[in-house]
Amino acid sequence: MRTLLTWLLCSLAAAIPAAAAELHTPKDIAAGTDFSIAVDGNGHGTFYLIGPATAKKHTVENASEISVPGTDIENAGNYQAILCSDECVSTDFYVHAAEPDRLSLLVHPSRVPVATTNAISAVAIALDRFRNIVFSRTDVNFSVNSSNGNAASHAQPTNRGIAWIRLTSAAKASSAKISASVGETTETRVVEQVASEACNLHIKSYWEANRLVVQTDPVRDCSGNNVPDGTIVSFTKTDASGKTTVDAPIKKGIAKAEMPVVGNARISVASGVVLGNELNVGGAR
Amino acid sequence: MKRSLRLLAAVAVLLAASGFSAAQSSPGVEFNAANAGPRTLEDLTSQSVPRDYAFAWQNMSQALNENRPDLLDAYFTGFAKTSLQQRIKQQAQAGLHVRYTDHGHKLNVLFYSPNGDVMQIQDDAQLERQILDGSKVIQSQTLHVRYMVLMTPGADRWMVRDLESTPATQSGE
Repeated sequence: MRTLLTWLLCSLAAAIPAAAAELHTPKDIAAGTDFSIAVDGNGHGTFYLIGPATAKKHTVENASEISVPGTDIENAGNYQAILCSDECVSTDFYVHAAEPDRLSLLVHPSRVPVATTNAISAVAIALDRFRNIVFSRTDVNFSVNSSNGNAASHAQPTNRGIAWIRLTSAAKASSAKISASVGETTETRVVEQVASEACNLHIKSYWEANRLVVQTDPVRDCSGNNVPDGTIVSFTKTDASGKTTVDAPIKKGIAKAEMPVVGNARISVASGVVLGNELNVGGAR
Repeated sequence: MKRSLRLLAAVAVLLAASGFSAAQSSPGVEFNAANAGPRTLEDLTSQSVPRDYAFAWQNMSQALNENRPDLLDAYFTGFAKTSLQQRIKQQAQAGLHVRYTDHGHKLNVLFYSPNGDVMQIQDDAQLERQILDGSKVIQSQTLHVRYMVLMTPGADRWMVRDLESTPATQSGE
């Protein structure tokens, strides 16, 4: 009778499957932080952790909790924890970015004409130390320091991880250091603010060994900045022989060209879209 | 006959070289740029971004299913690419792979930088996902996932630079 009872109990125990485990994760998990997954029930089998940059698998035996090292969850996003023995149980959890620790800073353009409204843009993306975008609101401090001593700053909160500003270039040609800071981290980019188009382009002429020499006054933009050497100035001569154009680069602030002249001639000057004065000159001497 | 076979072989080589999968078609994408700013999207960009994002998903799905990181080269760059490469490497080591059935994406452009060098997009994706250990399915889910995406222009296409799922929108089995 006792043998029969024992056999019955054993059969019943074998017939009832072991209670399926349940996995429980903490509600708030930051990237790169060690944590544990609590196991209710039979913590035995193969454990899988799947995430944005993770696919781990190992066996667990009679575990009431499964430790997950921070190195397995450095990427923010959704993860799946799965425990399989006879059947599989799973839980999904979200890993959010850690504290803002670095910035990705995009500044354009690298050279800009002076006194141009909204010509420079700076876009900062707030990142944690694992390069996850920090979507929570973060204040980014933008600052501009010109080589001529001018400085300005502006705090801008991020919207979904991104903060941006537009800047008007300075009136004087100079280098501008544009920086964005979050916490202890600062990223800097340099923008060259260069002279704009020539302004009040003016030429004069003189004779040298029977050849007419035409040269500009110092070429400056409307803010008084010297237009960079190498900028092309075009001299056009119209005389009895027809129309001739000579392109000359600015050297030491001045562009100069020699032109043979037959009879009377009209000489004009241009740089880019800017036209200068015209000269009427007599024939060769 | 020989000429036809050569032509077929050439087409197959071209398809393989292009990085597209013949087995998986690119998913449906709805694209809304009405909220984009501060820069307004150009017409050509409005066409190329959803097209390239669909190709990116197509390639990523195949890469995760076949554990082939080389498929990421065409449409992924930066952090998104290195993260997925790491995952595929670990999947291959563990004998895992992931199979996606992609039911489409609704893209909403949130930010397009003044110089057009970065675009932030919210993607509401409808997916079915199976995680497999060898040939055994260990998890199967129907999902509605919201992704935050950063895309940047490459030489001839837009590339996915960051692809991060957000909480709360993921629905279970």
